[in-house]
Amino acid sequence: MARKISMKQAINEALDQEMARDPNVICMGEDIVGGAGGDGEMDSWGGVLGVTKGLYAKHGDRLMDTPLSESAYIGAAIGAAACGMRPVAELMFIDFMGVCFDQIYNQAAKFRYMFGGKAETPVVIRAMVGAGFRAAAQHSQMLTPVFTHIPGLKVVCPSTPYDTKGLLIQSIRDNDPVIFCEHKNLYGFEGEVPEASYTIPFGEANVVREGRHCSIVTYGLMVHRALEAAATLAKEGVEVEIVDLRTLSPLDLDTVLESVTKTGRLVCVDEANPRCSIAADISAQVAMQAFGALKAAIEMVTPPHAPVPFSPTLEDLYIPSGAQVADAVRKTLKGGKH
Amino acid sequence: MAGKNPFPLTRDELLKCYRTMRTIREFEERLHIDFGRGDIPGFVHLYAGEEASAAGIMIHLGDGDRIASTHRGHGHCISKGVDVVAMMKEIYGRKGGACNGKGGSMHIADLSKGMMGANGIVGAGAPLACGAALAAKFRGKGEVAISFVGDGASNQGTFLESLNLAAMWNLPAIFVVENNGYAETTSRDYAVAVDSYVDRAAGFGLPGITVDGTDFFAVHEAAGEIIKRARAGGGPALLECKMVRFYGHFEGDAQTYRGPGELEDIRANKDCIKKFAAAVTGAGVVSAAELKAIGDEVLAVIEDAVKQAKAAPLPTAADLTTDVYVTY
Amino acid sequence: MQADHSNATPCIGVIANPVSARDIRRIVAYAGNLQIADRVNIVLSVLTVAGAMGVRRVLMMPDNGGIRAMLMRSLKREGNLHHAFPEVEFLDMDPTSTVDDTFLAARMMHAAGVKAIIVLGGDGTHRAAVRECADTPIAGLSTGTNNAFPEMRAPTVTAMAVGLYATGKLSAEQALAPNKLLEVSINEGQRHDIALVDAVISTDRYIGARALWKTESLAAIYLAFADPQAIGLSAIGGLLHPLGRREAGGHAMQHGGDPATRRLALRAPIAPGMLREVGIAHWEPMPADQPFPVALQAGVVALDGEREMAFSAGDHVRVTLRENAFTTVDVARCMHTAAREGLFRLSSSTL
Repeated sequence: MARKISMKQAINEALDQEMARDPNVICMGEDIVGGAGGDGEMDSWGGVLGVTKGLYAKHGDRLMDTPLSESAYIGAAIGAAACGMRPVAELMFIDFMGVCFDQIYNQAAKFRYMFGGKAETPVVIRAMVGAGFRAAAQHSQMLTPVFTHIPGLKVVCPSTPYDTKGLLIQSIRDNDPVIFCEHKNLYGFEGEVPEASYTIPFGEANVVREGRHCSIVTYGLMVHRALEAAATLAKEGVEVEIVDLRTLSPLDLDTVLESVTKTGRLVCVDEANPRCSIAADISAQVAMQAFGALKAAIEMVTPPHAPVPFSPTLEDLYIPSGAQVADAVRKTLKGGKH
Repeated sequence: MAGKNPFPLTRDELLKCYRTMRTIREFEERLHIDFGRGDIPGFVHLYAGEEASAAGIMIHLGDGDRIASTHRGHGHCISKGVDVVAMMKEIYGRKGGACNGKGGSMHIADLSKGMMGANGIVGAGAPLACGAALAAKFRGKGEVAISFVGDGASNQGTFLESLNLAAMWNLPAIFVVENNGYAETTSRDYAVAVDSYVDRAAGFGLPGITVDGTDFFAVHEAAGEIIKRARAGGGPALLECKMVRFYGHFEGDAQTYRGPGELEDIRANKDCIKKFAAAVTGAGVVSAAELKAIGDEVLAVIEDAVKQAKAAPLPTAADLTTDVYVTY
Repeated sequence: MQADHSNATPCIGVIANPVSARDIRRIVAYAGNLQIADRVNIVLSVLTVAGAMGVRRVLMMPDNGGIRAMLMRSLKREGNLHHAFPEVEFLDMDPTSTVDDTFLAARMMHAAGVKAIIVLGGDGTHRAAVRECADTPIAGLSTGTNNAFPEMRAPTVTAMAVGLYATGKLSAEQALAPNKLLEVSINEGQRHDIALVDAVISTDRYIGARALWKTESLAAIYLAFADPQAIGLSAIGGLLHPLGRREAGGHAMQHGGDPATRRLALRAPIAPGMLREVGIAHWEPMPADQPFPVALQAGVVALDGEREMAFSAGDHVRVTLRENAFTTVDVARCMHTAAREGLFRLSSSTL
């Protein structure tokens, strides 16, 4: 019987166990320790939301606080990876990718290909994603589609503490550059997590809930919105199947197609803005590959094409709700063939 | 006939450096011709005229030391020991090229020789070199990493951030600014508010030296002290090499931004290989005949490299999607 | 290039070297780095003060090391602010970013009849200016590494003194001082050059990165003067037997690297932050106009701290001290005279 820990603790444990196992694993980021150079205590933060707290006491200088220079230190993590280390760099908020994106998408993502298969860049870039924190437009985005679009990058976005620990360990051991997305609103969410170290392979979606009427394909926080919708719909006699993608690149399209073939209906739920989103990507792939199985038009549930607003009432309207997901499912049932 | 050698390099090292510089020069001159004929796809950015910088620095390095280069990377590749035939095949986009035809001129790399790649993004190599230096620090074997940038790249945020990062972490990272006076067509007099990269380094907390980049021995001595200091844990430094490039930003550049007579003047008066040859033959350490023999050998190597490149197979559709990932 | 010899438009020259204090002593010693921005500030101070003293025209050496570009930008900005500056004209020459620029600039300024040349640089720059400026007086500002030749002084004050002389408010007798130098001749003048402070024979046989700091390579040291407060190779003489700029004679010293031949061991500041033990086998006074032959068969002559002339077996190298060889503006004397004679008073005193 596994104990329950939060997603935040799962991340901390994954980092701790991997650093203990492999001396090549180093961590760097802004305030991942906290207090560097000052007169107060070290490890004063352990990351802006305390995710890495306690690691400095165990692993010392293998955790490095960085100056406010994303281009330089994300680039340095990438360069160190190309030289045989296994760095885990924290890009505090995925919204900051703009200031270092070249190093990620033109350098790390492309080394293996451009150098004819003769390079390995085993870097993990951890970043907080998602809205609901009242952090406003520049600290709340879900930029998964931007990274998923880039050949050479792997993109991971877990929804539970169990998936988080296993996928982070897998990310560290993986030999390609991985963007590891942590939803800031799930940090406190608790779930059963084994104490031992374990991995979860990339490219394997998780069927969180089985159902025969409609497939909901989603990831991250939206898995939980889908579960809320599922509970509501169950009272109406509608059983939805929920597929948690877990990794957006590589993508487990087979599980998605299997589900849609079974149910004939698809609702893609995505916290990213709708244009060129993961939802749009899945919808297109299903429409192309399982058109015949579809009994209704595909539905997407996403925020609007707008930045994340600050005011709590607006932000709550921005983020897709369980009710909106349920409505979308109902739409596929109403308008479809039987 | 050799006179007593007054230089701080052995006779063999001097010959090796001459061979390296001649190889770079003839490689680039040949590309200039073949590109003009339409044989070569894409863009090439030639290093001709800048050889003393690459040769004078790289003679101090081993395979465990790393360099991150620029879009004008052929000279760095050759002096770091990347195979010339593999380079030529790569520029021709062939299988068996240094990157199996997948990278081209701007992305030639050989990590086994510590060459972390020419780079199509100006200034992108500086953070990568900081990472290599960080890895070297963890390895603890006294290895160093060198970031080559140009006068143009010195304005990129990545470069400036890297100076700070290297200084605050005391990384064995060395920044070499190859100041040839032009960022594409734009003169450094316009683009760089204060044309001193040593000043920029000092501002960030690392010392710097300015040398005449067309003087192999000045580069060699300055680089030697900087690298020695970095290996011993003395931290980062900057070396500004003032130099000239003989060709344009890329091949096809008509260079109308040059002053009248400028190209003729630099070929005549600022040729680093001619200066090197005059110094070593003048001191009686090597003979003109020996240097000519090396030159002839180099030309033969280049000729053979072009032949092999033109004969090498082109990649096929099967190669299109390989090596995007290690595993997927 | 029009020469202007009239006192009606007093003209001075300014040679500001952008590459002094950029050499290897930043790595092997703790030498500082006077930034281009700081050098331009010095030039702006000098220009505006000279202008206030009545100098209408300044000839400047152009450079490709950042000073000219930043100065032009600064003068434009100063113009927007309506600050008064003399007319600045750059010499019509193509900078090569080598010491040849200073040689040429000094020649051209002399030919143009400037009243004095203000030099911003280290010992090497001053040496180069003196070599070619003939009888034009120079005034030195230290922006180099050791700065054994130029005296440490606020640029503003130097500009005031030069301004007094250039506008005729002080005569040559009042304002100028005579200086010694060392002449180095190889093979009876086939190659020759000068040094203002020290000519040092080194066993190194190549020019390389120029700066000389390795005391184990010293063979002989010839000094025009030896200030105990200086750093650099002349400090070896300065701490043994101080010799002033206006005193007769110089020093000739043989290095005693081998403890068997050394008669004295001395600790001296060779570069910023660098104290080194130096052995002396022999030293003697160096009277003016007497050539001293160099014993070392092959090596390099370093002039004012920089390796300049390589020589090998068969070359005859001779070093000769010359007195009254060139003039400098004696800023201290100028300012004292100016104060005594009330040259800066704007009204009569009722004190």
